[in-house]
Amino acid sequence: MKDQRFDRSFQTDSRAEPASPEVGADKRRLGLAELLQAAFPGGVVSVEDRTGGGDHFQVIVVSPRFDGLSLVEQHRLVYEALAAPLADGTIHELRISTKGTQ
Amino acid sequence: MRDEIQEIIETSDVALFMKGTPQFVMCGNSQRALEALRRAGAPVTAVDILPDPRIRQELSELSGWPTIPQVFVRGELIGGADIVEELERSGQLEQTLREKLGEEFHSNEQVVAVS
Repeated sequence: MKDQRFDRSFQTDSRAEPASPEVGADKRRLGLAELLQAAFPGGVVSVEDRTGGGDHFQVIVVSPRFDGLSLVEQHRLVYEALAAPLADGTIHELRISTKGTQ
Repeated sequence: MRDEIQEIIETSDVALFMKGTPQFVMCGNSQRALEALRRAGAPVTAVDILPDPRIRQELSELSGWPTIPQVFVRGELIGGADIVEELERSGQLEQTLREKLGEEFHSNEQVVAVS
């Protein structure tokens, strides 16, 4: 009886480890959202993990920073904000949707 | 190699830097860009960036755009898959093609290699 309980709790612990893929994937998703929020203060930011694997993301940003800019310029600002995770391979695939506020 | 890429960008009506070729596309985003260009009836010059990692590196240094695909119309960066799809949906892609290439452009696909 005692052994069983020990086994169960061990399994629970192992599932809750931060290294589990789901937790790591969501951490990366939230990390991207944080970077975007910092780059577009006052904007609306959404980051979706398209595959659940934590490396294919759809980001949507609505920000006054985009007002008056072309789509290429708007996407460049998003790439700039996510330069680190793009360079280190955290982001394998990125879909971007941007919109100004005017 | 950089001069070669630059020349393709500047001399092609529509240059599409992609993973794979129009006959054998190797990436979903390249497929999305290609299909949007096809719907708009664009004359596409495709460059496969996969044979040599330096192609992508040189291209991104030239364009300042980090991802593939990249679409240029007469030397000007139009965007990646998301922008090209968005412009196609709103009719702006065809309008840009008419403005830059004249009213009488014809859909066409050719592949050029960079070495």
